Amino acid sequence: MSNRGRDTRTARSRWSLFGPIVAVGTALAVIPLWLDHSGVLMGVAVLGLAFACYAIGFNVIFGSTGQLFLCVGALAGIGGYGGAILADTVGLPVVVSILLATLVSCVTGGLLSLIAVYRSLGVIFTGIITLIFTLTFDALLLGLGSLTGGENGFLIKAGADTFLRKRIPPYYVMLALVVAFLLLHGLLRRSHVGWAWRALRDDELAAELAGIDVARYRVYGALVGAAMLGLAGATYAFTEGRVSPTTFGFAQVDVVVLVMLAFGGIGTLLGPVLGAATFTIVDEILIEFGQLRLVIYGALVLLLFLFLRRGVIPTARDFVAKRRLSQASAAPD
Amino acid sequence: MIANILDGIIFGIQLGLWAAGLTLIYGLGGVLNLAHGQIAVISAMVLAFAMDAGLPALPASGLALLVGGLVGLFLDLTILRPVYRLQGEARVLLSLLLTLGFAFIVDGFLNWRYPGRALSLFIGGGAIDILGVPMRRGSLLASAITLVAFAALFSFFRFTTLGRAVRSVIEDEEGARLVGIDPARIMRLILVLSGVLAALVAVTRSMVVSVDVQAGFGITVLALIVTVVGGLGSVSGALLAGIILGIVNVIAADVIGTFMSLVVLLLAAAVTILIRPAGLLGVEE
Repeated sequence: MSNRGRDTRTARSRWSLFGPIVAVGTALAVIPLWLDHSGVLMGVAVLGLAFACYAIGFNVIFGSTGQLFLCVGALAGIGGYGGAILADTVGLPVVVSILLATLVSCVTGGLLSLIAVYRSLGVIFTGIITLIFTLTFDALLLGLGSLTGGENGFLIKAGADTFLRKRIPPYYVMLALVVAFLLLHGLLRRSHVGWAWRALRDDELAAELAGIDVARYRVYGALVGAAMLGLAGATYAFTEGRVSPTTFGFAQVDVVVLVMLAFGGIGTLLGPVLGAATFTIVDEILIEFGQLRLVIYGALVLLLFLFLRRGVIPTARDFVAKRRLSQASAAPD
Repeated sequence: MIANILDGIIFGIQLGLWAAGLTLIYGLGGVLNLAHGQIAVISAMVLAFAMDAGLPALPASGLALLVGGLVGLFLDLTILRPVYRLQGEARVLLSLLLTLGFAFIVDGFLNWRYPGRALSLFIGGGAIDILGVPMRRGSLLASAITLVAFAALFSFFRFTTLGRAVRSVIEDEEGARLVGIDPARIMRLILVLSGVLAALVAVTRSMVVSVDVQAGFGITVLALIVTVVGGLGSVSGALLAGIILGIVNVIAADVIGTFMSLVVLLLAAAVTILIRPAGLLGVEE
């Protein structure tokens, strides 16, 4: 390596970041060519991308900074419901509503993280506090029925006549979010923030001793992740035209996102997208099984965590590295 | 007001029982069993079918308790094996994910095979006056059974050698090993006990309201919150937290309505955890 110029090296490293993201974006961009005949399948694909966004946001919070936020659905729901209420009930423009709702979600995530950090709650207690937040959010959705539409949900009138409700454009809007989130996460991982995240993930005490403000970098992670969740939730709500408690429910979002991320590989850049794509397809295949789908889902979760605990991407990476190593030792030079 | 407090206590004793099984296995082995509610639902279905088949309520309930214990044993012997090999937070996380998978399988299967099926044990007879408040016989019997169960639990831990062995493992696993106690066997025993307690939840709950095939996750989540508020690993903490949250819930429901009462209950739980992360009767680490 030492005889290579600095320019080639930065070019190489830039390519190693942008390359996979561009490849994933391109691969996903051609999918509508096969599905555009079916509104239902396009809807499934858009939902799949929304889940990819949620999984990336959760990955920033849990994968990069080790905070188990069991309120992915609730933070996305703040975006979705917030956007819907601001646009329809208050009457703000759609874009302003989405941005404001994203801001609320971002601040909420930051506050939850602040609480967890300053009470020095471990992984499990952070999980339980955020789970309580999720339950509170659900109870409020039902309790404030006059504002949220209660169990029936909220029909969004704003934006109904724009491209957001056409068949194909929502797909590319959500895809743009996926690519933007991946880029942001990838760039953050390469910045000083990423170094701090890696240090505090590996050994929190050592990171603290090395002079890293662990609390601050945790809160950064929560702010970025929660903003991603809020933005994705709000955008998805406007493409769907309706939000209901199950759109952002714990069983429907949090559990699924956790499984997707664990499958792809917690803390990897592309793991969330791989997991979201895989489970969107699996879910579509299993749809004819009705209630039995949950049984198969449960069995998959069991198999996944019994035999593939670290996720597909890290396992595959290890496999490749091992093969390279054995080839190198078999034929030196 | 007295009526509210009495209702709250009755609901709270129930909550305490929901949490007791969960708190024991967490305190003992750092295992968070998210299939706790599903064990209760399996037992409820066994009880319902046994009674359909003509078995009287008492032996049918005994059968349900047995099945609950067997499910606990099954979890210990199968999916929790790899969990025991891990330590600390990794152990809690893996136990949580694996039992969640098991809970999905149970929920999916029961809802597919027996959709809408529910268990309710009807306890006949009129209301009984307590402090001038008429109380339903079913609620009173359920509370009495639950209190007896708690008394049995407390005396088990206080007066029997085995119970003391369990407590010693909760306090100091390494020390317990040094004096010849096998933590793995104690863990198995407690998983069976926790399964029996979950089955008892189904039996007593069905005397008050019907327990349907979808009740599992609701039971688990409330049990989890009561567990944390009471202090992980503390059975008396579970009972105390259950009663406090039960009273808070019933009074809030009376003042501001059902949905918002849940919000009050959740906020009360959150505030307790933030002020005292170890829980009401938990030990600060």
